[in-house]
Formats: sequence, structure tokens, C-alpha cells
Amino acid sequence: MKSSLRMLTRTAAAMATAMFLTSQASAAGMFREATIGEPPPLDVMLTTADVASTIGAHIFETLYAYDSSFVPQPMLAESDKLEDDGKTIVITLRQGVMFHNGKELTAEDVVASMKRWGEFGARGKLLMGNATSVEATDKYEVTLKLSAPNGAWKTLISDVNGGLGIYPAEIASAAGGEPIAQKDYIGTGPYKFKEWRPNRYVELEKFADYKPRSEEASGFAGARIADFDTIRFIPVPDVGTRVSGVQAGDYEYAEMISGDLYDTLSADPSVVIQRRGTPLFGLFFMNSKEGILKDNFKLRRAIQMALDKSQALRVSFGPEGLWTAQGSVFPEGNYFYSTAGTEAYSQHDPEGAKKLAAEAGYDGTPIRLLVSTNYQAHYDQATVFTQQLAEAGINVQMIVVDWATLLKMRGQAEQWDIFVTHHGFQPDPALFTFMNASYPGWWSSPEIEALRQELSVAVEPETRKAVWEKTQKLFYEQVPAMKVGDAYAYDIASPKVDGFAKNAEYRPRFWGLKFK
Amino acid sequence: MWFYALKRAGATLVTLVAASVLVFAFIHLIPGDPIYVLLGDTATPDQVEALRHQLGLDQPVVLQYFRWVGDALQGNLGESIFFQAPVLHVIADGAETSIFLALITMVWVVIIGVPIGMIAAMRKGTWLDQGFSGAAMLMASVPTFWVGLYLILIFAATLGWLPSSGHGTIAHAVLPTSGGLANLRYLLLPSIALAAPNAALILRLTRASMLDVSREDYVRTAQAKGIRPWQVVSRHILRNALLAVVSAFGFTFAALISEAVVTETVFALPGIGRLVVQSVLRRDYPVIQGIILVIVVLYLVINLLVDLSYRLLDPRVELE
Repeated sequence: MKSSLRMLTRTAAAMATAMFLTSQASAAGMFREATIGEPPPLDVMLTTADVASTIGAHIFETLYAYDSSFVPQPMLAESDKLEDDGKTIVITLRQGVMFHNGKELTAEDVVASMKRWGEFGARGKLLMGNATSVEATDKYEVTLKLSAPNGAWKTLISDVNGGLGIYPAEIASAAGGEPIAQKDYIGTGPYKFKEWRPNRYVELEKFADYKPRSEEASGFAGARIADFDTIRFIPVPDVGTRVSGVQAGDYEYAEMISGDLYDTLSADPSVVIQRRGTPLFGLFFMNSKEGILKDNFKLRRAIQMALDKSQALRVSFGPEGLWTAQGSVFPEGNYFYSTAGTEAYSQHDPEGAKKLAAEAGYDGTPIRLLVSTNYQAHYDQATVFTQQLAEAGINVQMIVVDWATLLKMRGQAEQWDIFVTHHGFQPDPALFTFMNASYPGWWSSPEIEALRQELSVAVEPETRKAVWEKTQKLFYEQVPAMKVGDAYAYDIASPKVDGFAKNAEYRPRFWGLKFK
Repeated sequence: MWFYALKRAGATLVTLVAASVLVFAFIHLIPGDPIYVLLGDTATPDQVEALRHQLGLDQPVVLQYFRWVGDALQGNLGESIFFQAPVLHVIADGAETSIFLALITMVWVVIIGVPIGMIAAMRKGTWLDQGFSGAAMLMASVPTFWVGLYLILIFAATLGWLPSSGHGTIAHAVLPTSGGLANLRYLLLPSIALAAPNAALILRLTRASMLDVSREDYVRTAQAKGIRPWQVVSRHILRNALLAVVSAFGFTFAALISEAVVTETVFALPGIGRLVVQSVLRRDYPVIQGIILVIVVLYLVINLLVDLSYRLLDPRVELE
């Protein structure tokens, strides 16, 4: 009996040791990121989902990429020149760049990718809408002809988010508008697609034939040095589990941690805080197509006048280190930062708002505010604003739905008056959703159409900034959308990983890092 | 018995057809659109319509239903809109985690719930009974997510003994690269969190059933005949009390597979519960339909097995 017990104890101890060793060995060379959820298909041209862009940026590359100051720098491109007053763009490609399938990148691949992006890409129309032709004029040279110059052309092809990721020509040509299949996740990036197990992980492995650029790494530009053998993106929807996972050493990185944990984690030596370098901001879009707010700019201004944005930011994001109540659409320090019109940003004047609403002919009709609970910050902000507007005699009826429903309903103009979303940082005014007249909200007026036209042909940075200042002023006069304020998301990393910048980039990226 | 099994199988088929119609109808009635979820925030109506057409979602719902049923009868549950993978593969992947999690949880439930329930019943009214009953009440009342988070905090983040979350391939444990049975360690903490309320339920049920049976005449007769107390308990009380408990085992097991969504979320486990919730949020119609179909089949089969097992436990039970 005694010997059986001893044998049992020994066996249990051996099993426990084996389990421990297995758990340690399996992590060697593997970097694990806990993401907020499962990504949609990684066809980066089609989707603007952040989680797909984060993963996709390791697989697919763009012709240009933002450096740490958000200036586009060549990535797959080597050089470029403008002809015909900026209406012809000639891009020369780097030579010797290999796709993950062993094929060399040529101009044919870029042309096929550009054509597909122009037709189906989420942001493709912004550049390709004015394209008259795109051709391979040499093995490594692409010529894009536009009907009018586009001052933001380089910015528009510098990011994978709904952007021009370069795919092999045969894949881009065959795909059409449907997301490309997993077997076709073939790019030129430092990591290649290995495996996707639904709800478990997406795994990438180091691309052995990757040739990094010679320039020093800066932001997403320059040399991309892959050090990890594999990267696993693991969906971990619960924020508490993401945090515990990094503390326990089960993940090396976890994204989008909640504001209420910021102070605690800042003092925790088992994690390193990675505050994002750029903010995202809540946007309350007004319906310019139908309903009570259509063309009633005075009533929209009354709504904005009633609000205290700081209160909403405090409720939704917590510690003051994570948000800034400021009205410039671009954050302070950015080239396009401007105070034009921002005196109307957050006045919190219920009496003034009541008076202005009366002048606008408001009779107490409920204003339908469409909001989703999937993003807690959206719901918190909508709740705070509904209360503040009630103080100004403006009656808001919240329509609370899930995100999938909101995405569908917001396309139906008769269903809502205001809808809530948020916007990630964009380095150029042309990329903001409210600058697109077909985006729900449908901001269209003679004044904004003229400014859109002016902006699209403005090439010089000074000219673009001047046009943008006029646009932002109009943004506060016609109120197509209300900016809530700048909020800085933050991630946490394991202290065992080296190479993180003080502030994270606008999106996590895991080349240029290594285990200590 | 065979006639009974055939009759039940026929009823199962009718239930399946009814469930498939209801599920299909409800899913397509709720607002929302998978195409917007797929393409993201900036998709234009043209892009949405083009992709909807390519995926066949612009066809009449009745046509889509019959096409789905036709494929399902051939063993094809379609392709996930979101994962771009066959629904059967997606479900099988999730089922592996859910089944192993449910099995391990059931082990905890049985080894905790039944013996302690027996002891509580045999020591009715003593401090031991009151202590166990109080503990059971506490275990049943504390939310699973709370227990889960504290288990993670203690055993993963502080002591570092077990992984905080995640998964490991278990079904392919024979493969040298899979991590083998060591991957079961991922399921220890979640199974304990999940077992707590269910063990409490079985504990209370075992105690109540044993007390009921112990008042029966045949038990009194057995005791009067001088049979040893443990023989009375094991042969006369427990065997009869187990009828109700076994029934609860069946439902608990089915529920553990399909409804462990909170535990799966807290421990980031890729199980069926989380898959169904995420698929609803993403409006991944083929996956939702496939999972509900599988869950309905699971419940019906478990029900059938539980009913058949009555006969084995108690020969007096007639299956008609």
C-alpha cells in the first residue's frame, strides 16, 4: 500500500514537472499578443478593422510607410517623381523584394493591387476615384495618371488599414470584391501567414527571405527586423484576463487596457505601460440627409453648446493622463493642429443652448441618438450627453443596439438623427470619414464641397494646412459631427521584451523587438 | 426498448426540423448585417452590395434555407463568412475545448458533489451537514467569472503554477508537437471555476434525494434486518437516489458544453459557448445555424441516453 502511494506521488511529480517544462519550452521564440477579439479576414485592402490591420501589417507591405512623425517614407517604393503638374505619378520600386511564395515583386503586382484597391478597397476611391490609368511602364516602374492632382497621394498609400497592401498580381486580379482566402495571404512583409485557428490564434512565422530596408527604423518606416520565430495573435476578449496573462507571463503584449487600471498598472513592475502615441476620438455624427437636424445648423450648434466634453471623457476614459479635452481635430503637436472654430467645442452653456434651440425652431421633438453597447465609451458618452442636453431642454431618445445592428441602421437615414462612433488618428485631412460625402451622416453643402475640391488639389503642405483650417472652422459652424475629445488608448507589455518606444506607435507592431 | 429508441429518434427528427426553421428565421429577422462587420466602418453601399451578392445573401431567405438544409443533409454546414473556413471545422475546433472542459468539470462535479452530498445526508442536522450545505449555498451563489478571476490572480499571476488563460490542443495529444496531455493544464482553473456552482447543485440534489429515499419502507426494513449501515446506504439508498442525480448529470453536461460562455470568455478558451456569442455579434449566419443544430442534436441525444440509462439503474422502469 505504502509503495503504491509512493509510486503514485512520484508519477504525479513527474507529470507536473513535464507539464511545467512543456509550458516553458513551447514559448521559446514565440511572441504572444492578446488581442481584444478575433479579426475579420486579413484582406487589408477591404477592411478597416484595427485588429486585422495590426496583424496584416506584419504580412503585407505598402509602397510608403509613416515614419514616427507621420511623414510617408518609401517602403516598397524606391523613389517617385511627379509629371504633368502632378497629374502623373511615376513610382520606381525596390528591386529584389520577394513575396512569401518566392516570386519577386514587380510593377505588375502593384498595378493589379492598385486596380483592385481602386474598385473594392475601403479607402481606394480617395485616390483611384480620379485615376485615368495605372500601368506598368517598366519591370519596376508604375505610372499612375490622374484627372486632377492629389496632394495626399503618398499619405493615402502609406498604411494597410483599408489601404493599398501589395498582393501578387494573380491573387489581386482573381479576388474581386470578396475577401481573399487564407491560402492567398501572401505579402512581402517580415512575417508570413502560417495558421489561423478560429477563436484560438492567428500565427505568423518569420519570413527568412525578407530583405529589410537599409534606413534606420522610424515608426512604421525604415528597416523592419524580425527577431521572433513566430508571433501569435490570441483573442482574449476579457480585459482582466489580458492583464493577468501578461503579469503571469502567458502573453508578451496585451492591447486596449481599460482606463480604471491605469494607475495600478503604472506602479506594477511586472508590466510596462505602452500609451499609444496618437489619440482616437469619439464622433457624434449628425444626419445631414433626413430628419430634424438636416440643414438645421443652428440646432446642431445648440446641441454642441449644451455639452461639457470633459465630463464625458472622465466618465468614459478615467484618469486625466489618458484624455485631453481639446477641439482641434488633429492633436496638439501635429502639423495640422489648429484652433480654428474650437471656441465652440465644449461651452457647457445650457441656457444659451436653450435659447439657440428655440431660435432654431426646436419644439421638443425627440432627437434619436443611435448608440452601441459594444464600445462602452460610446455608451457612457451618449448617456452623459443625453443628461446634459435634457438640462438644456433638448429631448434625446437613445436607441441602444449592438454594433452589427448600428452599422446597418446608420446607413438608413430615416432611422436616426445622431449616431455615435469613433475615429482613429489619421495623418491627413483627406482620410477623415466626415470628409467623405457618402459616409453615413452625408455631410454635403456648397461650402464643404468647395473646400473638399480645394483640398484634393492642394499639393503643398502650407496650402493643405490653410484649406484644412477653413474646413475645421466650417466643421464647428455646420456641425456635421461633434468631436468628444482626444483619448489615448494604452497597451501593456512584458518587461522581458526589449525595443519598445516610450510611447507605442499608432498601432502595435512587433518587428524591431526582441527578448532580453 | 428498441421500439422506444426508434420512437424517440423519430421525435428527435421532428424537433430538429422545427429547430432549424426557427433558428434560421430568427437569425435572419434580427437586424444587422455580416457584410458591414466584415468590411468595416468605411464600406460604401456599392461594396456592401457587391459582397452580399457574391456570398449569396441577397437571395430570398426561403431559398437560402432550403439550400442550407440540402447541404446539411449531405454533411456540409456551409462556410463561415467571418473565418472563411468550413463551419464543421470551426465547430469541431470549438467542440474539442468544450468537451474536454465539460468532462474535466464533470469529474470535479462528481467527486465533490456526490460524496459530500452523501455525507451531508447521512449526518443530517449535524454541524457537518450544516457546514456542507452552507458551503454549497456559497458556491452556488458566487458568480463564475468572479471565481475565475480570483483563481487566475492566485494560481497564475501570483504563484505562476498554471496558465492564466488560453488553450492547448488536446485531441491530438499523441502527436509529439502538440504538447500532449500537458495541455490539460489549461483547463484546470476554468474547470474548477465552472465546477463550483454545478458541484453545489449536485451536492444538494444528492443530499435531498438520499434523504427522500432513506424514508422509504424498504430502507427501514433493511435497517431492521440488521444489514450494516454502509450496505444500506450503498445498496438501497444511493442506487435509488442516483436516478434523479443522473438525470441532472445529463443536463449539466449538455449545459457545460453549450453555456460556458462566461468561463470561456474569462479564460480566453475557444469553446462553443464563446463561438456562438461571437458569431451572433458578427452575424456569421452559417456558424450560428451550425452550432445551434449541433447543440440541439446534443441535447436530444443526451436526453435519450439519460432516459435509456434509467432502465439500467432501475429495472422496474418501463421504457414505452
